[in-house]
Amino acid sequence: MQKQTELLWVEKYRPKKIEEVTGNDEAKVLFIEWLKNKRHTKKAVLLYGPAGVGKTTLVMAAAKEFNFTVIEMNASDTRSEKAINAVAKPATAYKSLDSFSDGTNKSIGNILFLDEVDGIAGNEDRGGVNAILKIVEKSLVPVIMAANDPDIGKLRPLKKVSLLVRFQQVRIPLIIALLQKICLLEHVKAEFEALERIAQNSRGDVRSAINDLQSLSGENHSLTLQDTMMLHSRNKDISIDETLRRYFSTQSIADTSSMLAFSSVDYDDFLLSVADNLPKRYTDTAELARAYEYASQADMFRGRIGTENWHLLKYFFNALAKASAVNPQSYKPFTFITPPIRIITLFWTKNKRNILNNICAKIGEQCHVSVETAKLTFIPYVRLMLQRRRNHPIVSSFKLTPEEVNYIVTMGRY
Amino acid sequence: MASSEEALMWVEKYRPKTLDDVVGLKDIVDSLKAFMKKPKTMPHLMFAGVPGTGKTTLALAIAHTLYGPSWKNFTLELNASDERGIDTVRERIKDFTRYSRTGFGENVPFALIILDESDQMTGPAQTALRRIMEIGSRTSRFILICNQSSKIIEPIQSRCAIFRFSRVEKQAMKEHLINIAQKEKFQLLPEAADRIVEFSEGDLRHAINVLQTTSAYKEGVIDEKTVALVIGEASPMLVQKMIRKALYGDFIEARKTMYDIVGNFGFSGNEIIRQIQREIFKMSDLTPQQRADLSGIIGEYDYRLTQGANSDIQLSALIAQFAKFGKNIEEDYAETN
Repeated sequence: MQKQTELLWVEKYRPKKIEEVTGNDEAKVLFIEWLKNKRHTKKAVLLYGPAGVGKTTLVMAAAKEFNFTVIEMNASDTRSEKAINAVAKPATAYKSLDSFSDGTNKSIGNILFLDEVDGIAGNEDRGGVNAILKIVEKSLVPVIMAANDPDIGKLRPLKKVSLLVRFQQVRIPLIIALLQKICLLEHVKAEFEALERIAQNSRGDVRSAINDLQSLSGENHSLTLQDTMMLHSRNKDISIDETLRRYFSTQSIADTSSMLAFSSVDYDDFLLSVADNLPKRYTDTAELARAYEYASQADMFRGRIGTENWHLLKYFFNALAKASAVNPQSYKPFTFITPPIRIITLFWTKNKRNILNNICAKIGEQCHVSVETAKLTFIPYVRLMLQRRRNHPIVSSFKLTPEEVNYIVTMGRY
Repeated sequence: MASSEEALMWVEKYRPKTLDDVVGLKDIVDSLKAFMKKPKTMPHLMFAGVPGTGKTTLALAIAHTLYGPSWKNFTLELNASDERGIDTVRERIKDFTRYSRTGFGENVPFALIILDESDQMTGPAQTALRRIMEIGSRTSRFILICNQSSKIIEPIQSRCAIFRFSRVEKQAMKEHLINIAQKEKFQLLPEAADRIVEFSEGDLRHAINVLQTTSAYKEGVIDEKTVALVIGEASPMLVQKMIRKALYGDFIEARKTMYDIVGNFGFSGNEIIRQIQREIFKMSDLTPQQRADLSGIIGEYDYRLTQGANSDIQLSALIAQFAKFGKNIEEDYAETN
């Protein structure tokens, strides 16, 4: 076991109460209603939806609140009929077995929780589905199942006997709010934009967002947008290169648009990558200008989407798709520039900008101007003065370090 | 601040400390002096005008007049373009006004909050600022400084006495520069002064910086040649290069230059667009019609920048349009010859 102090934040901040579970309010209501009053209508419930949106968390929180004892099995356990009978049958045959064992435990009964039921596959689990079906039929206690993909054919028999509760991706603003709360409790100073990027990158997966937050904020308890730049898109089933290849080789706008809608690459990175690669795709200046015109429109849609208006995403895809089809006949395969030039450039120049910003903050404080104004109307002149005379009196007056003086003297003109 | 620690940028050294020292701006100074006689009657103030026309100087002079040498204890200087969002502004103002609830003593009627570049704040941030002003107005007065008062929301404007600052007049600026040079034991030749005045477009701060830099080049006399040299070496080069490369159809090089600017200097997309616009009008090899056409393109992308999510995309698109425009000039030229 890990030491208390090194707890994963996903565990440390796993909600203990139903109301603390973030998002998916409809699913929560449906599930709780079943657990409280409607267990007689269906014997089992199947919670399904993407990973990390709170299915297991909700079950555990609900069990705690209603004082159920959870008997858990998950995909890592063997699912053969024998194993299921060994664990599940005793659990379901008596209404409350555990309640005698512990005087303080006010458990009102057991619930059987079968996590990741879509993990049932192959020879090892032979008969697994049928065994679960039998258990559901015979069960005296609630049976709760969780799955990521409810469309796997062999789960169909389960769907007939279960109440289906659908979980969706948790909305980005909710994830941001949760991350902000954790930052507060963990004393992490985080830029809003950084949290925004983590949340967007998670695609509604709260668990991955919290994990990213913990790994990126590291030991110095701070998190800037820059720190998140190297964040890789999660759950990528196809790489950005592969998506670019498909994007540029598809022959119609409609195909490209639907390809984009089904891909899971990070939209922002992908837009940047498309823009980076347009000059390699179109060598004719008029075609290039048109392609960028569409990229520009796509970016405007991205701006309007912000973190709220995700229903506008289709227009973003459509505008972006148009940039791929300016002149379909001229397409020849080419090697892509990835990752985005912007991200690489900003990464390698971070130190330079920091030094310059520090110098400008010193100037700004003494001369009552903003950092930006200092850059524009002071730095060009300070640079010339220091080039003439390295120990110019302004050096001591601005309290510039030798490193900063050196930086100013050797920096180029903008 | 200790007097031994002399401010060595001339813009600071020769910044007037009191309202009486301010040259020009007579109407504004007179109104402010009236407020100073009965400080409690002073409303929130808004100073609007182009850079380098004395807005900050007057705000600081008010602080000096109200509080004397210990003005810094009662004055909070904030710059909206440096602060990260309205929450920081709110926290800093809250912390600052907290002291004032217990009172500063008989002679200090209120605390002063100088918010520079307030037109850089977004609409929602300004709405929040309005609340802050309401809450803080019992214990403090605001001086909002901005370039354009039209970018400030109505409810804030209506709470302030607005003063408009126009560009410093050429003759006044020239005299001022010659005066400073004299105090620094330099002789600034009239043509040299004219050249600085012309270049700085009514921005006195910029003009004084040019003057101080030329003094590092030559002893005794500052002539026009030295001024021209300094102006040449200080003016932006990369933006020019980016525009030229684009107009010659070299999109890749132009965009590389753009990333040089963004990466090494950290200028915002807005600032780069603003500089492109300035540079276009300096390019004498373009016809007035071409400059106007290019300006039209710039205007479109300036607007898109406010709509979009990513300034690089919009700047790249602008460069691509420039490349196309350059190609057309070339073709027109070939046809007419």
